Amino acid sequence: MARQIEEILKSATIRDLRLESGEAVSRSTSLGEVCEILDRRRFNAVAVCDDRRVVGIFTQRDLLFRVALERVDPDTPIGELMTPEPLTIELHQPLREAVRAMTERGFRNLPLVDSEGRWVGMVSSRNVLRYIAEHFPEAVLNLPPRLHQQLARPEGG
Amino acid sequence: MRCPFCGNDNIPGVELCESCGSELAGLDIPEADSGFAGRLMSDSLGDLELTPKAEVAPDATAAEAIERMRRERHGCVQVVDDGRLVGIFTERDVLARLVRTGLDPSTTPVSQVMTPGPTTLTSHDPPAFAIHRMVSQGFRHLPIVDGGELRGSISVRNLLRYIHSEILGASAG
Repeated sequence: MARQIEEILKSATIRDLRLESGEAVSRSTSLGEVCEILDRRRFNAVAVCDDRRVVGIFTQRDLLFRVALERVDPDTPIGELMTPEPLTIELHQPLREAVRAMTERGFRNLPLVDSEGRWVGMVSSRNVLRYIAEHFPEAVLNLPPRLHQQLARPEGG
Repeated sequence: MRCPFCGNDNIPGVELCESCGSELAGLDIPEADSGFAGRLMSDSLGDLELTPKAEVAPDATAAEAIERMRRERHGCVQVVDDGRLVGIFTERDVLARLVRTGLDPSTTPVSQVMTPGPTTLTSHDPPAFAIHRMVSQGFRHLPIVDGGELRGSISVRNLLRYIHSEILGASAG
């Protein structure tokens, strides 16, 4: 018998999510390069790392609030525009902790780090929603456009 | 359980109907659409906390739309022409159609950089539809339109809030 979605969600950990690899840049990466990455890979955020440690995050929201009207020079280092010291998450943590951070604190992206604090990827609110969708009944998966087909596609959506 | 063939109410767990002898084993397993999975299909988006509508006119500048998004802390505004939804302008549009192209937000009309003809849902649609659209097509925001009238929009965050409060919230454990 298939387990109920409630049980699955309550017991899931970050490890159970099918994560995108994400992308990390350094503080000196230019705003223009970061925007190119966000656009081409359809990411909502990049992690900013210094020697593989996460020191910041730059998201589409940062772009909206700090760049869109100010017409910031695309050569500006992202280290000057990022949100420093973001909340991070590890593979063994429960999914519900990520959902809580996303709903109560409004973070849509949580850099994923290993036990030594090194960056390994990104957990997005869309990853979480997709995990929930993957446990839907067949009736929902068969709605057009076919979710199975979309899910089978390579990352990037 | 009630026999689906003759209607006799049997004690739970019996393998054969005590009245007509029909095979009952396996029939009392909960269906996939029970519990929260069922509610994802039977609840209505109108019952969820939606993001209030934030309308701008097509000839408003992109800068005015961005100021509105900042002020209301929304990732999306709806572009409405004469009472009709003609597009949405999202953070993704800010990135791809404005910042990346170098257009001047103070002189560019929002209609030039919006996503025209967005996919919409109604407040009677179930949450599963919204989740499905967002996952399969990559939308973060879906306007909710009832009979031509814009009601608001549903975001990834609204849906996660619903899931959090219904499953993972106070009753978690």
